[in-house]
Amino acid sequence: MKVNRYALKRNMTGYLFIAPQLLFFLVFLVYPIFEGIRLSLFKISYQGTTFVGFDNYTALFSNPVFVKSVINTVVFVVAIVALTVLFAIFVSSAIFDKNAKYVSFIRGSYYIPVMVSMVVMSMIWGFLLNPANGLIPYVMRELELPAVNFLGNKDLVLPVIIFVTFATNVGQAIILYIASMIGVPKELFEAAEIDGANRKDVIFKILIPLVKPTTLYIIIINIIAVLKIFVVIQLLTGGGPNNASTTLMYFLYNNAFKYNQLGIASAVGVIMFVIALLLAIPQLRTMLRKE
Amino acid sequence: MLRKRLFVVLGFALILFILGACSDEGSSSEGTTDSSDSDSSKDKVELSLWLTPQWKGVLDSDEEGADYDSFFNHAAEKFAAQYEEYDVEIDVEVIAADQRDEMLNVNLNGGTPPDIFYESVFAMGDYAHRGALVPLNDIVDEEAKGDIASNYWDTVTFGDDVYFYPYSHMPGTLVYNADMFKAAGLEDYVGGEEEIKTWTLDEFDTVLNTLKEDVPTDKYSNAYPMGLYALNTQGDTWNLAYLRMFGNPFFDDNGNIVLNDENGAEAAAWMKDINDSGLTNPGAESVSSNDVNAMFQNQQLGISFTNSVLYNNTIADMESGNAPEFDARLANIPSESGDPLTFTYVTGAAVFDTGDETRIKVSKDFVKFFSSDPELVKSSKNGVPVRTSVAEEFKDENPFFAAYDENAQYMFSFTGNVPGYSELRQVLYPELQALYTGEKTPEQVVEDYQTKGNEVIESSRADSVIYSE
Repeated sequence: MKVNRYALKRNMTGYLFIAPQLLFFLVFLVYPIFEGIRLSLFKISYQGTTFVGFDNYTALFSNPVFVKSVINTVVFVVAIVALTVLFAIFVSSAIFDKNAKYVSFIRGSYYIPVMVSMVVMSMIWGFLLNPANGLIPYVMRELELPAVNFLGNKDLVLPVIIFVTFATNVGQAIILYIASMIGVPKELFEAAEIDGANRKDVIFKILIPLVKPTTLYIIIINIIAVLKIFVVIQLLTGGGPNNASTTLMYFLYNNAFKYNQLGIASAVGVIMFVIALLLAIPQLRTMLRKE
Repeated sequence: MLRKRLFVVLGFALILFILGACSDEGSSSEGTTDSSDSDSSKDKVELSLWLTPQWKGVLDSDEEGADYDSFFNHAAEKFAAQYEEYDVEIDVEVIAADQRDEMLNVNLNGGTPPDIFYESVFAMGDYAHRGALVPLNDIVDEEAKGDIASNYWDTVTFGDDVYFYPYSHMPGTLVYNADMFKAAGLEDYVGGEEEIKTWTLDEFDTVLNTLKEDVPTDKYSNAYPMGLYALNTQGDTWNLAYLRMFGNPFFDDNGNIVLNDENGAEAAAWMKDINDSGLTNPGAESVSSNDVNAMFQNQQLGISFTNSVLYNNTIADMESGNAPEFDARLANIPSESGDPLTFTYVTGAAVFDTGDETRIKVSKDFVKFFSSDPELVKSSKNGVPVRTSVAEEFKDENPFFAAYDENAQYMFSFTGNVPGYSELRQVLYPELQALYTGEKTPEQVVEDYQTKGNEVIESSRADSVIYSE
């Protein structure tokens, strides 16, 4: 094959510029993926590693806690992403064309929780919801309302975590939607107004279709973020009660760092990677095709 | 052209720098032996020592600037000053107890375990089974064997080898708010200030019910008779003790769990019952032992759990004004037979197999030094000394030493020295959560715990270095 020396020389500077980033990408992202896949086929102990084929995967699928964690993760992804998109569209479409100061105020209000560390947020929610000495159960007791353990009831614990995560994350989506909606050409709204379109028509027929790329982006980043949901579980419920709120990431963490089952943990990592890939590919394809 | 070449050169320099930084990582990290020290003729050895919070201060918690690492920093200085073979520097790091396994597993898998770990033996036994610790037989001499009773050596021996050098122990008991008892009219049930009170199970039920009904709410608002928790593994030894209340032996002679019988189910039913009757803090399934301890210190609980060090720290917090002051006294965990249920955490240092013979040798020398130096062993009085000589010396200063000694006859081994104990702990609290939320009956809980627990023990036994020997 004939090498175009001139082109190579001309592009060399560019390649060198991206080389450090590429190196980091290969070492810290690509290599761990392949290493994770390799480790998932081994049983690892302090004394050595033994090849076990797909035994780790077989063990996982026969483990009811793993199955529960898959179901919980899917519930979290669907509920949190849907809530985030719907609520962010609702808030953004209601305010994007209002007074700039008002828009900034709303945007800032929703964004503050995003800036606060998830650890701090979880601790605050823990303080509010702790059944023994939390504020909300205390107020409920004082008002002689029935005692409800928000973190210890297996039917309530998922909605509580969904709400806490949604409330913490929605600001990001609102910021993106408002920016995107402000960028929609004004002529379209004026034309719609002349044609007699009402606010509902403007939102559903102009605004939402035109901010579709933003919607896709928000869906992808939220799916990936929620798949990795961990801190709130670790700090609020510890996966309980009786594993009712355990997630894939929490299950992975327990196996890797508490039970020292690195092979099993790697298998969970591989499964999470595949799920994320499967969920993200259709969205990415739509986005890339449009562009 | 010049600029282009400059970019090329800078680009290469950056890559070389990154590669250089990566390859240097191993050689510049802590914990290596280094002979290039210009200040001393001795070779330098850097060791890392980790511990979970034990006692504050060198000898007493009321020393100025007393903290959890004070004793080991002091011991390290003293050791370095007298050690002739190497110039030793010991980096002391305090690790949160609930982060212990995470930290150790990450560092073991990364090939950077600490040289020494000071902790309760029960929490570290798995690392001996996994082959991560080195035996300490060669640093245990006849003097130590004579001064430390044989039951402590049994606790730290796995197979034929000693893996921990016993230093002190922490008997676990209950602690109660004597002021709250008196306010509820329970004067007859209050023990002496220097006594570990033993109640029968019937008396205990009376105490709980009276506290529920008669504690004046104007003085103790939002207070509950007893602390109960099952959020995670923290403080699970008390839960294990409650499960033995009706006479279940917990382990059989082969080291398998045998909780699934009438006595085990009755104990689980008792725990469920006190929870449902409002005799404990609400929501035990999502409350941690830390929460319970904080509630006791804030006078929101009549009875809570404690061990000798935690009790001393509670009293110290009251005296220093960090916590409200009240009369906190000790009591035993009752049982149906009338005999108290007692257990103890033997604490001591273990040495990790870092693969560096020099560091292992110096680590062992340091462990032997602080565990046998006549001055340094006095600090074991912050728990209960394992050395008879130290216990004798301080028995007048700490009258509880005699009470703990009297309790020793009722002691049970809560780990059964089984392999996989760390993972076994992870099986208990989800079952207790299922019990408290009503998801499972007491009978189902003891049956499921026994099945899952024995699976853990069986698979850990297969992987145990000690059993394979």
